[in-house]
Amino acid sequence: MIIVLSTISFLLAYVATLTITALGGMFSEKSGTLALSLEGCMTFGAFASGITMYLLPSSIPDPISALIVILVALVSAGLYSLLLAVACITFKANQTLVGTALNILSTALAVVMVKQATKTEALPVGMSRLNYTRFYEIFNVNLFGLQGVRVNWLILIVLVLIPIVYIVIYKTRYGLRLTSCGENPSAADSLGINVNKTRYVGVLLSGVFAGLGGLLLITMNAEWEFANGASGFGFLALAVLIFGQWKPLYIFLGAFVFSLFKTLSVVYPSIDFLANLGISSYFYLALPYIVCLIVLVFTSKKNVGPKTVGEVYEKGKR
Amino acid sequence: MNKVKSFFNKLIKKDGTKTALTSLWCALLGLILGFFILLMINPSEATYGMSSVLGNYLVFTDPADKLNYFGQTLAKTAPLIAMSLSILVSYKAGLFNLGASGQYSVAVLVISFLGVGLNLPWWLVIILAMVAGALYSMISGALKAFFNVNEVISGIMLNWIALYLVNGILSGNPLVWDNAHSEAFVIESGNNAYIPQIGFDKLFAGNDIVGLGMILILVIAIIIFFLFKKTTIGYELKATGLNKDAADYAGMNKVKNILIATAISGALAGLAASLNMQNGFTSWKLSSVPPDIGFLGISSAFLGGLHPLGVIFSSYFIVHITEGGSMITDLGFSPEVASIMTSVIIYLSGFVFFVKEILRRYDLKDELTRLSRDKEETA
Repeated sequence: MIIVLSTISFLLAYVATLTITALGGMFSEKSGTLALSLEGCMTFGAFASGITMYLLPSSIPDPISALIVILVALVSAGLYSLLLAVACITFKANQTLVGTALNILSTALAVVMVKQATKTEALPVGMSRLNYTRFYEIFNVNLFGLQGVRVNWLILIVLVLIPIVYIVIYKTRYGLRLTSCGENPSAADSLGINVNKTRYVGVLLSGVFAGLGGLLLITMNAEWEFANGASGFGFLALAVLIFGQWKPLYIFLGAFVFSLFKTLSVVYPSIDFLANLGISSYFYLALPYIVCLIVLVFTSKKNVGPKTVGEVYEKGKR
Repeated sequence: MNKVKSFFNKLIKKDGTKTALTSLWCALLGLILGFFILLMINPSEATYGMSSVLGNYLVFTDPADKLNYFGQTLAKTAPLIAMSLSILVSYKAGLFNLGASGQYSVAVLVISFLGVGLNLPWWLVIILAMVAGALYSMISGALKAFFNVNEVISGIMLNWIALYLVNGILSGNPLVWDNAHSEAFVIESGNNAYIPQIGFDKLFAGNDIVGLGMILILVIAIIIFFLFKKTTIGYELKATGLNKDAADYAGMNKVKNILIATAISGALAGLAASLNMQNGFTSWKLSSVPPDIGFLGISSAFLGGLHPLGVIFSSYFIVHITEGGSMITDLGFSPEVASIMTSVIIYLSGFVFFVKEILRRYDLKDELTRLSRDKEETA
């Protein structure tokens, strides 16, 4: 029973992480900027909040310190995403290139800083690991008083955000403007919408959301090795975004499918039927990505994404 | 005197010079930012740390050590040049090869089995590694050509699939896996798959990883240069990259060109694996993230101004500071400081096109003032 419940808890946390990050990517891509740096923003948010969790004195009451950590994750990743906005929107840089640079930079920064912060501990050479058991217990509550089953309450925030995002994208003026900037920036511009400003907001939101995703990811455990960045979750979220055809509800469904496979790679040894098959654990690790690739084959043909994603918007270009 | 002046004027107006100048700026700014980070971490040792990063092998006092480590830096530059060429070829054809790490990994799998397991001759292993890289890369190409799957996303997915595939197949396999060191067996100098040193070991004070690979990659860089400059295939790839609809309209086969570009690109990523592994230097280690050489290739490709010969210098520069970075661990810095610098440099090289645009505008203004002055004089 406990195994089943903890599996579900794992699954939900994965779903929430992927959903929130992919929703962030949706804001960025709908406004016309490629969200390749989701991985980097997640890593940066995770690193900034991780180091806050590591350094915050335990004299600060739990609710306040939890609030501080969440704010740090959101703000730091938001600021980090501005690096993408400045380069790609204002200076018209290649979005794939800058996205890649930001992905490498955040991992490198996190490793250097974490090693610096943990210098006094005798960690094995090359490790850049943070431990924050106190916050693991703050963020993961015992559900129904069951011992051994902990659920991350950040998942609730994500669940609340999904309908809000849906309403913002489809029912508000801002959402429609955002979409128009990605579909046809020249037309949007001619109607008096500030394309660059709208895109900045889109990118900023993607960073903030990815920051929350990063925090969720690392608080699933009591420690995190930062040399792995966000373990490819940002890239999976990007795939979920495409799989979900840039629509909030589909994104949630897509996140659910991938999370099932991701959870499988964690829990398969405790499922007798799967453990007896004798398939290498690496196969289960690769499975989400293989499924993702197959799904992409079936969903890419239609080309439903925002029309100008990845392109530079030049005023007056026909 | 005037001749010299006009020569310099012409040189500055050349596109290549502009690219080189802007790349130098990026490199310089990246280094300065890196220095600030060192200052933040450990102010008293920052200057010394920075000089080790920049100096690399020059910090050694013994001339033999200097030569030896210079040879090592050169040997490590060769795979990065191959990787940059891989990124460059696909980029010229309008594709972004973010899957280079995966192609590299699959090639490592082939090298380990054929080189260590079967002890095949080095040239055959190189060729087969390139074939493996090409085939793996063509998965991305075929998905793009036939199913319209974005090659960036499929490349990333294939990176992870390759990582787990190689980890799963190599680890624990008695034929190729060295349990004592928990890594694949290294191809040592006695092995058939070891790329010959043709006397370079004597030139570089007994360094045992520098060899024919260095010459090989220079030749290939020149071949790629001529591919784009002189051949029909290169022309078609470039045309597809500039405007795929126009190229299609002009009768160039889009599907064929995508497959050719991804195949060449993948083969070069496979070659990078050969040049890295077949010289007794390193082998596959278990890792939970794809090898970062694919991403380093992007940085040196762009820093080299996307020019097949330019990447030789940019790759050397990046390896030089990375190697230098690995020397500063004793000072309380982590070697990743170098990777901060390189990523800042890639980030800044995103601005290259913007800076070039400004330089071009400046030229134009210059030209216009000259024209109007000429007009006044004649009037």
